[in-house]
Amino acid sequence: MDYMCQKPQPTKRLTLLPLIILFVLNITFSFAGDTEKGEKLFKQNCASCHSIGDNKVIGPGLKGVMDRVPKPAEAWLAKWVKNSRAVIASGDAYAVKVFNDNGKVDMPAQAVSDEEIKAIFEYVQNPPVKKETPGDQASGTSTQKDEGSPTLLIIVGLLFLALFFTLRTVQKSLGKIVREKAGLAEPVKYKGPSGVLLWMRTHKKWVAVILLFLAGWGSRAAWNGMYAIGVYQGYMPEQPIFFSHKIHAGQNGINCVYCHSSVEKGKVSGVPSVNVCMNCHKGIQEGAVTGKTEIAKIYAAADYDVNTQKYGPNPKPIKWVRVHNLPDFAYFNHSQHVKVGQQDCANCHGPVATMDTIRQVSKLTMGWCIDCHNKTEVKMEGNKYYEELHAKLKEKFKNQPITVSKMGGIECGKCHY
Amino acid sequence: MSNKKIYWKGLEDLNNSPSFIKSTQQEFAEEVPAENFLAKENLGETSTPRRDFLKFLGFSVTAASLAACETPIRNVIPYVFKPEEITPGIASWYASTYSDGNDFCSVLVKTREGRPIKIEGNKYSSITKGGTNARVQASVLSLYDSARLTGPTANGTVTTWQVSDKAIGAKLDGIAKAGGNIRVLTSSITSPSTKKIVGEFAAKYANVKHVSYDPVSYSAIIKANQESFETPIVPTYMFDKANVIVGFGADFLANWVSPIEFAKQYSKNRKVNKENAKMSRHFQFESTLSITGSNADVREGLKPSQVPVAIVNLYNNIAKLAGKSGVSSKAIDADKQLAKAAKELWENKGKSLVVCGVNDIASQLFVNAINSMLNNYGATINLDVSDNTKQGDDAEVVSLIEEMKGGKVAALFLYNVNPVYSLPASLGFADALKKVNLSVSFADRADETASLVQYICPDHHYLESWGDANPRKGHYALIQPTIFPLFNTRSFQESMLKWAGNNTNYQAYVKKYWRNNIFPLQSAEMFFENFWMKSLHDGIVELPPDAKPIQKMMAAAADTAMAATVADVDSLGVLADENKGPLQKVVDKPKEAVGLKAETATTAKGVAIAGVTVSFNTNLFSKDLSSAAGTISKASSSVGVFEITLYEKIGMGNGNQANNPWLLEMPDPISKVTWDNYITMSPKQMQELGLETFLEKEVDVDVVEVTVNGVKLPLPVYPQPGQPYGTVGLALGYGRTAAGKAANGVGQNAFQFVSIANGMMMYTSYNAQVSASVGKHALAATQTHHTIMGRKIVQETTLKEYKKNPAAGNEKIYLSIKNGHEHTKVLAEDVDLWATKENPGFDKPGLFWNMSIDLNSCIGCGNCVVSCQAENNVAVVGKDQVRLTREMHWIRIDRYYSSDVKNQEQAAEGGLGLIAGYKAMEAPSENPQVVFQPMMCQHCNHAPCETVCPVIATTHSNEGLNQMTYNRCLGTKYCANNCPYKVRRFNWYRFTENSAFDFNMNDTLGKMVLNPDVTVRTRGVMEKCSMCIQRIQEGKLNAKKDGRRIKDGEVQVACAQSCPTDAITFGNVNDTESKVAKIKADERVYHVLAELDIKPSVFYLTKVRNTEEKAEA
Repeated sequence: MDYMCQKPQPTKRLTLLPLIILFVLNITFSFAGDTEKGEKLFKQNCASCHSIGDNKVIGPGLKGVMDRVPKPAEAWLAKWVKNSRAVIASGDAYAVKVFNDNGKVDMPAQAVSDEEIKAIFEYVQNPPVKKETPGDQASGTSTQKDEGSPTLLIIVGLLFLALFFTLRTVQKSLGKIVREKAGLAEPVKYKGPSGVLLWMRTHKKWVAVILLFLAGWGSRAAWNGMYAIGVYQGYMPEQPIFFSHKIHAGQNGINCVYCHSSVEKGKVSGVPSVNVCMNCHKGIQEGAVTGKTEIAKIYAAADYDVNTQKYGPNPKPIKWVRVHNLPDFAYFNHSQHVKVGQQDCANCHGPVATMDTIRQVSKLTMGWCIDCHNKTEVKMEGNKYYEELHAKLKEKFKNQPITVSKMGGIECGKCHY
Repeated sequence: MSNKKIYWKGLEDLNNSPSFIKSTQQEFAEEVPAENFLAKENLGETSTPRRDFLKFLGFSVTAASLAACETPIRNVIPYVFKPEEITPGIASWYASTYSDGNDFCSVLVKTREGRPIKIEGNKYSSITKGGTNARVQASVLSLYDSARLTGPTANGTVTTWQVSDKAIGAKLDGIAKAGGNIRVLTSSITSPSTKKIVGEFAAKYANVKHVSYDPVSYSAIIKANQESFETPIVPTYMFDKANVIVGFGADFLANWVSPIEFAKQYSKNRKVNKENAKMSRHFQFESTLSITGSNADVREGLKPSQVPVAIVNLYNNIAKLAGKSGVSSKAIDADKQLAKAAKELWENKGKSLVVCGVNDIASQLFVNAINSMLNNYGATINLDVSDNTKQGDDAEVVSLIEEMKGGKVAALFLYNVNPVYSLPASLGFADALKKVNLSVSFADRADETASLVQYICPDHHYLESWGDANPRKGHYALIQPTIFPLFNTRSFQESMLKWAGNNTNYQAYVKKYWRNNIFPLQSAEMFFENFWMKSLHDGIVELPPDAKPIQKMMAAAADTAMAATVADVDSLGVLADENKGPLQKVVDKPKEAVGLKAETATTAKGVAIAGVTVSFNTNLFSKDLSSAAGTISKASSSVGVFEITLYEKIGMGNGNQANNPWLLEMPDPISKVTWDNYITMSPKQMQELGLETFLEKEVDVDVVEVTVNGVKLPLPVYPQPGQPYGTVGLALGYGRTAAGKAANGVGQNAFQFVSIANGMMMYTSYNAQVSASVGKHALAATQTHHTIMGRKIVQETTLKEYKKNPAAGNEKIYLSIKNGHEHTKVLAEDVDLWATKENPGFDKPGLFWNMSIDLNSCIGCGNCVVSCQAENNVAVVGKDQVRLTREMHWIRIDRYYSSDVKNQEQAAEGGLGLIAGYKAMEAPSENPQVVFQPMMCQHCNHAPCETVCPVIATTHSNEGLNQMTYNRCLGTKYCANNCPYKVRRFNWYRFTENSAFDFNMNDTLGKMVLNPDVTVRTRGVMEKCSMCIQRIQEGKLNAKKDGRRIKDGEVQVACAQSCPTDAITFGNVNDTESKVAKIKADERVYHVLAELDIKPSVFYLTKVRNTEEKAEA
């Protein structure tokens, strides 16, 4: 099964999104064709050793590379990329210098076509200009808002209000005309606080009805309020590092289990340790959104020096803020649900791949757990553990689906001990 | 009534005192005496007016709701560099060894996220075979003892290692130059590498002498074997090969020499079934009622002065049978039993064993002579293989003190000993210590001795350190760290190495030692790295006892190839991981390269192994015993009114883990008293002396002053049936003054009564003075709680009866069922209120967990109690709460005294009522038979507790478990009141982070021992045995993940896993092939209180005693 978090569905709204973002980011469309392709190729093939800036990752930074290599640059680079060793062996002075400057480690030959190489260097020369972050995020969220419905509601509401007042005026004037014709006295007017009291005294039944209604509504609100205590649906705390699941799981399509590696083994899915981050971020030193600031925090935690590429003696663990909290008396095991029950991560965690900051999507209440246990059929096929039991249960629950709860999955001792 | 025995739990039950009857009516004996316990003195005077109360109420409700609105910030902090072998939420297990100088046990340590949280036995060890005892179980808590020193100290002030190393080094150099004597006083060291290090230290400085010292000494055995056979050792014993066992004051199931091993061996020979209706016969002659004595088939109480005489008389009896002449001796009451024992021993020549726990050379010589006459050497006693756990030499300790007093000792190093506490003050160790120029202790805390020395260089706890052990010839064990040292401590070995001028760390040293000394002795592994990894994994290496170094030409060559890499690794830190990375590859390569040669080598070694036959010497005793007989008769001729025996409790032992609240709260298996030591006295004698014999929570016992050798101690008196008239017993290990907050001031130090006779530490005295009552003392005993109300819950028979009928003693209970106008008798188990043919009731389609408890195997050691406590986060409640019947142990060992009585009908014939009938049974209680019955939640399938819970907090699972949901419970206690087994425990207080319960759960360090998979219960909820549901769930999940059926034995509950005698079996009875399902078909199976028809999931097997005259084989 695929543990990939749900990828954004290609709806109309979302296809517009990249365009809007591009607009906001002031990207000139003239370069879009080659640089986009080049960016993709660069990330696939080059980014693990090179940056497009000045800084050295494993190989040198590529800023201004076209100017420093022997001319004609394009042809030289094409040769170099395809087989650097041959270039060095040919005795090319610049090639030998690069080789010596970089610890005598030659660049592995890359399987790319001339056209692709051209696109890559197009991108390297003209990287997309980036604006700093805040605008980006704000625009991202605002575009997602569906503004249509509340406006409509307000307009309808206003129309109803207007209608109400019109009718009320009509009723009043009609009543006045009727009373004048019949010669009746003006009805008592309830004005001011004393008027309210007078009305209350004369309309005791109404008062009782309203009070009852208020009491009922109030207790319902209180009840709901109490129920919500300790339920943190939508909880979205700020994290010490602006880590975006949208970029990692969404755009880059990294499998959840790559980082949350104990999800199939144990109770907790496991917040990745810093060395897992370093697997990629040793190479990727600059983020698309936050630049170097956030990734620098990983280096600080690992006590990693980007320039010397050495780890120091004082690593500091990162204090993430826990988003999904269960009380101590509830035992939850990820591997039971993910490995045995074959549940998708998104069933409980929602569309993580679209979240910049992670938020608690589900209620995580006991009722929520039990609802799912009542509905979910146990996946017994192919698991020898269930073989005998399955036969017995099939006998017992003829033609009915065998859900988790039918197997004892809502017994207290399954989660509370 | 076929069962002629009546059991009672205590003298109160027997005497049926009015307050006892009252207390039996109540599950909770106390009417909420919170004020007595927690309150300030003036609490009664204060009052809370109604308005204030309402204000408080309003405020707290508001505060609570406001607090609830805020989302609490909880951090999650991952590793920076996650060790490969750690997966959060999954336990890692490491093999290690518990060797504290007294007990030896191969263990597996369970760690969670780098914290050791549980100890289990290591089944690979041929000595302990997966068994543990309570002290080993509790040792994990001693790691997290807040009384431990956090770094080295000099003259009482904290210092650094550099400073103390420099100072000690300088002093040592000065002493060496001046030619001063240096003495190293240690406990028995089983570690070969440590011995070598002491040797290196001795080589560097001249005049170094190493003295071994055991607080509870076995010197007499060593000396007697020296005299008899010229082998100064403690031999190894094989109780499983003995058909007849005679013990003289040797508590070999609990404390004597190697109790974990002996319990395993002993129980092996006492498991009966239809196919093998045989069991060993065990005579015990002793001066206190010990665990061993309570398991004996024939137990005779003797005065300490009579024990040596009894040995001589047994010798004479056997000598007569052997046609030899005896020695002169006097007659004692036990002669009749001794003659029987002699006859049976003689009939089982070569299949018998006589052991003696008295530290007296003369007695041990006679025992050697007896065993020699019985051809037991080479059969049940092996003198070729020494038990290295006991090496203490009393005479050398005494002469060391003399030297110190004479100012002849310039430097004294104390490792793992506490002589100021464990030697009688009369020896004057504390004063002698002042005359020593340089005194260094390696104690983990500033204990009684360490607080008097100049430098304390605290050693690691064994769970933090490397090490090895060689408990006996040919058996090697490794100790590996399971946690990074918690404090700035350093191992004893590393300190000694440093001062010897060797800067190797101890890990590298042990490894090198094994490479040079142990690796060449074996042939299974060709390459040292493989051998080392395998040894670390297994925890032990067993070799033929007389293995000789085997030539390993090829292996040596290959090893040299590896040496460079290995040396790098050796220099890494303590927790360096050698298992991983390129090293493994380096190891693999040469293996392939020399594959062919390796094969040849193995063959060659195979021959070598074949040549080594494990043969025992049948040592012959040929010494004149007349002088020994003279010593005994002379000593036993002058006795006082009282005689005293000092014994070890199975929990406290010699007191080296005294500050362990689990051990302090563990009820003594016999007396059921917690948190105290006391003198045990015959109830009959207590009545004569006018001492209080009722032991109840309202009643304090009397305190008397006991004087032995001029030392006077005030001690509470406990009425102990089975204690011989004219004797008292007193437990060692208590009365600590500098052990830590839990142990300080608990009990009295019995080591003060130790005397020196013939150069041996004597743990008995023939002349003790006992005064009249001088005061009162509160004892906290769990004894009279949870009464059985006279019902029969222990079923028992004799071997003779069992041979005739395997269901003997297993009294079936029938119910009278009214069917129309007819009454029919139906077996209680067959009656079912819930299920009918149409509706089969609550079924267990998948798993059905059951537990079997063999009363014949249970020796009552209490290991399961501590194991359960560690596994399930059971709180320690303290003495006051135990007195209020509020101990929290999920499993208890009920101990019932029994005595033969004609029968109830006869009592009635004699004109006695029920109560008078009980009284008539008082006479044989002087020496009762004892039954131990582990009791925990029986997981009834028609549970009475479940039906009365108003909030459905206790429910049943479709695996047959009775589940307790803490978060649902609101504490009505209805369930506990309705439980016929009285196994539910109520949390009267919050026992965590509560200064009123200042034990391990009230300090950050102590809380590290908690099992993260088990909820820590809060105030006001009920709890009870959960059948270790966390382990069941884990086992099921593992099977599901692997896509296979759950294997029998895969899921082990904590009590069953640690049981040293395998009395508890746990498993799924729906699996007909499982062990427990097979046991369930046995005729001995019965349910406790079967007449209630509540269908428990726990069943018991009747106890079979071999009490008849020896049955025809």
